Amino acid sequence: MIGAALAIWLAFQGPPSEAPQHLHAGIEADKRGQLDLAVSEFQKATQLDPTLAAAFLDLGQIYIEQRAYASAVPPLKRALALSPNIEGGHQLLGYALLAQGYAVEAIPHLEKAKVEDALGIALLEAGRLPEAVATLQKALAKHPDDPDLLYYYGRASGLVSKQVFDELEARFPDSARAHQMMAQDYAVLRDLPNAEKEFLEALRLRSQTADLHLELGELYARAQQWDKAEEQFRLETELQPGSPEAAYRLGEALVQLGKFHDARLELVRSDQLRQDMPETLYLLGKAASLDGDDALAEKSWIHVLKLEKDTSLAAQAHFGLAGLYRKQGKSAEASREMESFHRLQKPAGQTQDSQN
Amino acid sequence: MPIFDAKLPRGLDFTHLNSPTRQKYLIETMGGGVALLDYNNDGLLDIFLVNSGRLTDPMRGPELFDRSASQYWNRLYRQNPDGSFTDVTKAAGLANAGDGNYGMGVAVGDYDNDGYPDLYVTNYGRNTLYHNNGDGTFTDVTTKAGVAAGGWSCSAGFFDYDNDGHLDLFVTRYMEWDTQHSKICGGEWQTYCPPAEFPSTTNILYRNRGDGTFEDASLRSGIGSIKGRSLGVSFADYDDDGFTDIFVANDGMRQFLFHNNGNGTFRECGLEAGASLTADGKPLSGMGTVFQDYDNDGRPDILVTVLPREVYALFHNDGGGLFSYRSLESGLGLLSAASSGWGVGLEDFDNDGWKDLFVAQSHVLDNVEGIDPMLRYKQPPLLALNHKGRFERADPGTETPIAGRGAAFGDLNNDGWMDAVVTSLGGKPLVFFNHGGSGHWLSVALRGTQSNRDGIGARVRVNGQTRFVTTAGSYISASDKRLHFGLGPAETAKVEIRWPSGARQVLDEVKANQFLEVREPEKS
Repeated sequence: MIGAALAIWLAFQGPPSEAPQHLHAGIEADKRGQLDLAVSEFQKATQLDPTLAAAFLDLGQIYIEQRAYASAVPPLKRALALSPNIEGGHQLLGYALLAQGYAVEAIPHLEKAKVEDALGIALLEAGRLPEAVATLQKALAKHPDDPDLLYYYGRASGLVSKQVFDELEARFPDSARAHQMMAQDYAVLRDLPNAEKEFLEALRLRSQTADLHLELGELYARAQQWDKAEEQFRLETELQPGSPEAAYRLGEALVQLGKFHDARLELVRSDQLRQDMPETLYLLGKAASLDGDDALAEKSWIHVLKLEKDTSLAAQAHFGLAGLYRKQGKSAEASREMESFHRLQKPAGQTQDSQN
Repeated sequence: MPIFDAKLPRGLDFTHLNSPTRQKYLIETMGGGVALLDYNNDGLLDIFLVNSGRLTDPMRGPELFDRSASQYWNRLYRQNPDGSFTDVTKAAGLANAGDGNYGMGVAVGDYDNDGYPDLYVTNYGRNTLYHNNGDGTFTDVTTKAGVAAGGWSCSAGFFDYDNDGHLDLFVTRYMEWDTQHSKICGGEWQTYCPPAEFPSTTNILYRNRGDGTFEDASLRSGIGSIKGRSLGVSFADYDDDGFTDIFVANDGMRQFLFHNNGNGTFRECGLEAGASLTADGKPLSGMGTVFQDYDNDGRPDILVTVLPREVYALFHNDGGGLFSYRSLESGLGLLSAASSGWGVGLEDFDNDGWKDLFVAQSHVLDNVEGIDPMLRYKQPPLLALNHKGRFERADPGTETPIAGRGAAFGDLNNDGWMDAVVTSLGGKPLVFFNHGGSGHWLSVALRGTQSNRDGIGARVRVNGQTRFVTTAGSYISASDKRLHFGLGPAETAKVEIRWPSGARQVLDEVKANQFLEVREPEKS
């Protein structure tokens, strides 16, 4: 009887003294990277003391380190049941659930843990898109150089956008905006006839909508229909005389059509509306050069080179300057610019020949 | 009212066969040469068409293109007095021509000054020089002449670079490629690869020794010291030094301008001359080229046909050895930005005294519409009339899209109005007969005595217009050697000739509307 009682007492008294030892051994094994040993030790600790929340937590964490997410969930849940505020518990369980695709279940844990990056992803996966965008934006503010976060933020924003556009299409199918949206979709698919048709319908319904002419003009420009592009860009500049983009695009179309003087005027205007834009300055230099105004061409291209040093636009500016100086008989300057042009060329053999 | 009536004249029953495969061998999409020549000197232009050949899918080594079946032959069509054509391939000794090789293009020139135009056929493989025997037949003299080349030849042209009175030969070569090292590009689209996927190679210059043989002068002349991906070649004396220079259209890289130093050597100077890249310093997908004076300033300009979104390049000859990129102000930005051009000519189709533009068009990729729905594989030819240096689209007589490749120009029916022949890859050629109009004209043929017999390389000025005598240019094609001048309302013309020998000749008050043959003055 006494023996039996002792056994019962020992059984009751023994484990609590050994469980912390196994817990400690598990922690040490984890530090040494012996994850399997750590699991074994943590398991012994939890068997010896089923109330030892820290052992359950550590066991769950090791499983997560081993990417055995399904195995991690039960001990983490147990840890939280034993100690609802145990540090790291909600975060680890949230991770484990999210990793297995249980985004909805993960969300409350990640909310409690205040882990914005994982929470944003969970919200995205759960389809709670506006909240996902807001949460991921906060996470990105803290980690602006995280490519994963940038990816999920972009994806969430895109899905929100799609959701909104789907709603627009469903609720207002005959609106100018719905036709504009459909036109944009066709434009992405390079389906010129349908994109054009939808843009024109949008314009018929609401001709004064900002950017519609610009977008239609861009569609024509992509299709190399520069005369039609010019017409649309001109309408956009009339609608938005303060838009540097519209003026730039009109200038570009005019250059393509060989109307260099008119192009110059638009590009100068674009430059005045938004200064120090290398693309505008380069094209202004080109229009001026083709229009015979070498001084303006030189000034514009030199300005480009103050803004850009090693880009393809800088290479183009050097090439333009070389031609300008060659025409003026300034051989040394022309050679110098050509050297800079060659230096900036890609080594892919696109413009280089091979010498035997 | 269209300028042309596009049709297939009676008897011209040629069908080009390129045998496209699933392997997307690049040679499949590049052939289709055509020549306009009067091989029997009966005063009527005849038509020679280059076939490509049979490919197996896939090809196994050693590469041999069986062209024994008659549908794969190159074809010579003799023009009859009634305007119909007769296939004289067999009678001319050209049957089975090209066997073992995959056909590309053709050059025409009287290399032995015997008064009969000879044929040089370029191939993927061995090229062939056919001597015109003068009796309606040809003889393969390639081995004796030493002009087989090898590799992948495209455009070729006869010219006299050393002014010795014997026509030399320039052969462009595209790249180092063979069917065993071919690739398929475009991922899921499975299409032809861009040229940069394969190594560049050299062009060949053959110097005519004057005894029926040629010497490979590529290295000695400097032509062989630079590698390109060359498809087109055209000739003119751009700096007026009396020696013919060479422009080479390269695909996907800078273009070459070989300045003739006058001592048997050339210097490539495209970049410094401004005739190599676009105004933005971008390379071009150069395919066809023409080297003639489009704006009547007396200096030959260069036009290069390219792929869509590049705009056909027009390099204006500013004088002093410099060119400027004038594609946009000449109207080509609007006309060609969505097109792919191959064979090209600058001819005065409406006889108004300004050379107009004609381009055979089609994309390289036969499945381009799946890759980019904004582009088209088959396209109608481009006709653009020249209004004092600015080109404006005109009706070519057909809107039917074709896979245009070669293009040759000449007055087929001797009515004083220029016609054109365009080949279609894997299809039938189209002949564009000019309806004519009210403008006067003059056709000038040269008969060299000190210079080469056809005066190839001579500069001829008629009422302020300038042409350089050549059968070369365009893409893998050869045009009539006669020079056509539209005179507008003028009923007489002043003809000024500078012969390759240096001799100069002026003819005043030449009556319009005639075929004039001018004989070079004998040495005094």
